[in-house]
Amino acid sequence: MQALQSHLFAVREYLSPVLKESKFKEHGRITPEEFVAAGDFLVYKFPVWSWEKGDPSKARDFLPADRQYLVTRGVPCLRRAQSLAYTDADEDAERLLSFGDGGTSAGEGEEWVETHAGRKVSQNQSNAVLEEIPDVDDGGDDLARGVAGLSLGGGVGKGAQETPDLADLDDIPDMEEDLEEADEATAKPKPAAVVSSASAAGAASSPAEPAKTNLLQVRTYDVMITYDKYYQTPRLWLIGYDENRTPLNPQQIFQDISADHAQKTVTIEQFIHSSSLQAASVHPCKHSSVMKKIIERMNNSVVAEQLAQHAKAGSSAGAAASKDTGKKKWFGRKSNSSVKEPVNEDEEVEGMRVDFYLVVFLKFIASIVPTIEVDSTTSF
Amino acid sequence: MPILQFAPFSSVVSPAFWHKLTDLKIDVLRLDDAPVGISGSYGPGRSVHDRETGQDIVMNASFSVDGESFAGGADTAAGQHGATRTVYATGSFKNFNTIEEFKNADKNKLFNDEAQEIWQSIVASRSAKQLTRFFLISYADLKKYKYYYWFAFPAFVSKPAWEIEADGWKNVRTVFSADQLASIDGQVHADRQFFVVSKQGKVGAIEEYEAFFASVPAHERIVGFIDPSADPVNPGWPLRNLLAYLRALYPAHTTSVQVLRWRDLTSSQLGTVSLPAPLPSTTTDRPSAVGWERNPQGKLGARVADLAPMMDPTRLAAQAV
Repeated sequence: MQALQSHLFAVREYLSPVLKESKFKEHGRITPEEFVAAGDFLVYKFPVWSWEKGDPSKARDFLPADRQYLVTRGVPCLRRAQSLAYTDADEDAERLLSFGDGGTSAGEGEEWVETHAGRKVSQNQSNAVLEEIPDVDDGGDDLARGVAGLSLGGGVGKGAQETPDLADLDDIPDMEEDLEEADEATAKPKPAAVVSSASAAGAASSPAEPAKTNLLQVRTYDVMITYDKYYQTPRLWLIGYDENRTPLNPQQIFQDISADHAQKTVTIEQFIHSSSLQAASVHPCKHSSVMKKIIERMNNSVVAEQLAQHAKAGSSAGAAASKDTGKKKWFGRKSNSSVKEPVNEDEEVEGMRVDFYLVVFLKFIASIVPTIEVDSTTSF
Repeated sequence: MPILQFAPFSSVVSPAFWHKLTDLKIDVLRLDDAPVGISGSYGPGRSVHDRETGQDIVMNASFSVDGESFAGGADTAAGQHGATRTVYATGSFKNFNTIEEFKNADKNKLFNDEAQEIWQSIVASRSAKQLTRFFLISYADLKKYKYYYWFAFPAFVSKPAWEIEADGWKNVRTVFSADQLASIDGQVHADRQFFVVSKQGKVGAIEEYEAFFASVPAHERIVGFIDPSADPVNPGWPLRNLLAYLRALYPAHTTSVQVLRWRDLTSSQLGTVSLPAPLPSTTTDRPSAVGWERNPQGKLGARVADLAPMMDPTRLAAQAV
């Protein structure tokens, strides 16, 4: 059923025309050119992101061949979204507040939460979350599989259940044991259960100590952003690894997605720039409306700030014009235009630029995957 | 003085790599199990702020291979956009046709061949490009979507071992001014994962060591590398071969080396590592090397990636309700 749907979506996307006109402030959608511009800005500003070409046979002709999608690897995920379930709503509100205009009330934050998936406000949300926690399922699943002796592979990260295959493999390398054990300059491997993946070698040091006692299971994610032609928005894809850097299965990935979205807006689908790769994806059907709301909010504050700056610059430049040559020059450029003030305001106060689109998009995504640190953009 | 310990590389294999291997195996390689050249990459280590507890958590950068690893290797990858700090390393990849071949392969020989290649690149070409060379062996069970694999990152063992000065690693901000740091930051990039730095913040390629430091007194010479380890104590694996490189080429000046572990403007570290006197007479014989990756059980052994949940059509159909 879902496969059918995926195909249908693929056809629909293929048939829909490429968006030409900039509409990002009106309804939150962007053109491929704007996607590239916003992507360039993201890559420039946050070098953890980079452009990828993807499978050439899957390349989309409305995007430059070397800028098909954005990727960042090894994004840390310190804990499971389930453990945040109760504070989820608060987090969202907090995030919105951080968008800038100091006057944002909690009410507005809730409004946004509501708008998004048409779900209830915070009080009811925690109930809903409780019902939907999929961990019982998952744990049972693993156990059942382990008991049934199906070859799950130690790969799934349960170090304790060593399958026969893996036990066999452990026999291989006796010859090297001596060599490496004798090497005093190799930092000791840390027990996998205690220290987490990427910080695996991180132990032994005081700053890492408290983290260890919390038994953090740090997963990492590869995060991709593609352009969805039908919805005319970016689309997010996730591939996860556990603390031993073994790929996560779908159930495990859903643990890191806020319960309201797991298996609803987030599904496992074929990654559009590969012929076979499967990845978890946030379905973009609601992206444009949410983005519109956030952009409106941000734009207002950006405009206000620019106005304030402009007013300040204008008055100070006027006052300082006589002595400060540098400022005079700058001021002079503007006063070349016949009608001074109104025109200046138009060109100065352009509001939020489309380059910021993906930065904002990541803030929005952070509420869907609250524990995956996709939002490295704290400076905004 | 405490012995300097290095944080080993930890590997990450993107599922895209196995997908690509599967395609290659079926369409191109078939039963050919000759080694092929691949590329892998790592970035600088970083620390992550945990919003729950307010602590910073050390995240070492992983060594990753992905779907692009088969294509052309480092040359094409290096031409990427953006000021990326991703360092590309070349390596070789050998996929065995049966699990028995995989188990019975002469791994010592494979390892020594690779180590020899790195050593040759040091003494013959004096190039630092191969210092992070790696190799990967695997067996792919295509029917079950299971992939057995084992990485090795050969690194030369120094005898006697390097020691770190008692005052340990210092934050760079105590040594360089903000302007100098910004200048270094602007000059460090992926093609220069190993570099030389002057006290004034000038940066050059490591191959220019002699010319760059011609008029610089020994105690002001600094060598740097992009450090995948964010651990405050253990520098990353690439430093091992960098030190071996310096010892082999400039034995007179390198009984004590100032090392810059470059990560970013705020967390990079500087420290002095040295060899205990008296030194044995230097030889150009290849030192022994270590570097097989340990598996999640902490043993020297292969890892398994079970991609059935993400590749097996029947499993995928089952979860898509």
